[in-house]
Amino acid sequence: MGLLDKFEAARRTRDTLTALPLNPTDVVIDEVLSASEAMIHGRRTIMAGTNNYLGLTFDPAAIAAGQLALADSGTGTTGSRMANGTYRDHLALEAELAAFFATPYAMVFSTGYAANLGALAALLAPGDAVLLDSEAHASLFDGCRLSGADIFRFKHNDVDSLANRLRRLGERASSALIVAEGLYSIRGDCAPLAEFARVKREFGACLLVDEAHSLGLYGAHGRGLAEQQGVEADVDFIVGTFSKSLGSIGGFCVSHRAELALFRYTSRPYIFTASPCPSVIATTRVALQQLRTRPELRERVWANAHHLYAALAALGLDLGPDVSPVVGISFQERETAFACWQGLFNAGVYTNLILPPAAPDGGSLIRCSVTAAHSRSQVDAIISAFTDVCRDLRVGRHAA
Amino acid sequence: MSIEPTVEDRLIALLRKTLGTETALSPATNLVGDLGLESIQVIEYLCEVEDHFDLAIDEGTLADVQTISDLAIVIRKLQRS
Repeated sequence: MGLLDKFEAARRTRDTLTALPLNPTDVVIDEVLSASEAMIHGRRTIMAGTNNYLGLTFDPAAIAAGQLALADSGTGTTGSRMANGTYRDHLALEAELAAFFATPYAMVFSTGYAANLGALAALLAPGDAVLLDSEAHASLFDGCRLSGADIFRFKHNDVDSLANRLRRLGERASSALIVAEGLYSIRGDCAPLAEFARVKREFGACLLVDEAHSLGLYGAHGRGLAEQQGVEADVDFIVGTFSKSLGSIGGFCVSHRAELALFRYTSRPYIFTASPCPSVIATTRVALQQLRTRPELRERVWANAHHLYAALAALGLDLGPDVSPVVGISFQERETAFACWQGLFNAGVYTNLILPPAAPDGGSLIRCSVTAAHSRSQVDAIISAFTDVCRDLRVGRHAA
Repeated sequence: MSIEPTVEDRLIALLRKTLGTETALSPATNLVGDLGLESIQVIEYLCEVEDHFDLAIDEGTLADVQTISDLAIVIRKLQRS
C-alpha cells in the first residue's frame, strides 16, 4: 500500500458528503450578525448550534479590550511561553483563573485541545493507568494516548463500571487517573461527579474533569459541574476552554496540586507552541470578569434551555436525559436526521448534524444549543421550525 | 455431558447481545471490516467483554486485534496472567 492510499476512505467520505444537497460539514458563514444570528447562503439564520453559551462573542467591553491589546501588544507573541511568549497579561489571566476557581495553581494553554493534550501528557507516563469515560472528547483520548499510559474505558457515566475497572486494576488503582467531562457536548448529559469522587476516594485514585462545556453554566459561581455537585475539593485537576462560554480561544488547567506548576517543564503541547496572542488574552480576561459579575447571563441561558427542552420533549423527540443548554436529539435513521437538519436549515435555523462515528451511540443526532444571547422570540422560532419539520417528516409524536 | 463454551463462543454471544446483530458471526469475523462497527460501538462491546470475563483490558493491547479470534487470544492471555 502506498503512502497516500490511506486517503481512499476519506475520499469516499468526502464524496458522499459533497453529493448531498447540502454538506453539513461545509457550511460557510458569510457574515456574523450577532452572537445569535448569521447570514448563511444569503439567509438570516438563527445560530442554534454553537458553544457560545453566555453569548459573549460580541460583548462590547471584551471587544474594546481586544482592540486595545492589538494596538498595544501586536497581533501575536511569535513564541513559546518558555521563551519570548509570556507577557504580563498571560500571568494576569492565570492569576484570575486561580482566584476564580479558588485554587493556588492555574496554567493557560493556546487552545482547549492543547490543554487536554498538555495536561494529560504531563500527568501520565507509560506504565500509568488511566480510566477514561467511553464518551470522553477526542482531545482527552489523544492526551491519554500521547502519554503512553495504559487506557481503560469505562461505560459512559456509569459509576459501577468505573469502580469495577478500578477493582480489577488491584494495586495500580491507587495511582490511577480517572478522566471524565462535566457536561457532555453532544447529548447534553451531565457526569455523576459526586459519585465519581466517592469512587476516587475509595480507591485512592486521582480525578481530572474537563469542564469545557460546563464552565459558566453550573455552580453558584459558574465554575462548573464539580462546583454544582459540591466536589471541587475531590477534583485534582480541572481543565477547560475559553472557546465556549468565554467566547474566545485557548484552554486552561487549574489545580490545588503544586505539581501543576511543574507541568510547564514537562508538557510538550504547552512548551512547543506559540502562546495565545495578546488580544485573545485580553478578551478572555474581560469575559471571565463578565462570567463572575453577571449571573443574569447564566439565568438567561438556563431559562432558554428549559423552554427549548420542554418544547422538544413535547414534540416526542428522543432527547438526552438532562435539561441543559445543549439538547441532543437522537434519530434511528441517518437519512431522517439529515432531512430534519436540512429542514431546519431551510427554515433559517442552524443546528449541528452529528453522524457516525462522532455520535455517542453510533447513531445520528441533531445537536441544538441555546445561549444567553438568544431572545425568547428566537427560541420560539427554533421551536416553531422543529414543529414544522417534525410534522412534515412524521417524526416524534407525528410518527405513524 | 455439557460442553463448556469456548472464549470465542462467549465473545460471539456477547457481540450478538450488545449490538443486537443478526449477522452470521464466526471467530474469523472482522469487527470493523465485516461488521462495519463504529469506534464507539467497539468500545461499548469491549466494556461488556471486560465485565463478562472480569478483566481489565488496556486499549494498547488491542492494537493488533481485528477478529473475534484475535480478541479471544488477548482474553486467554489476560486470564493466564
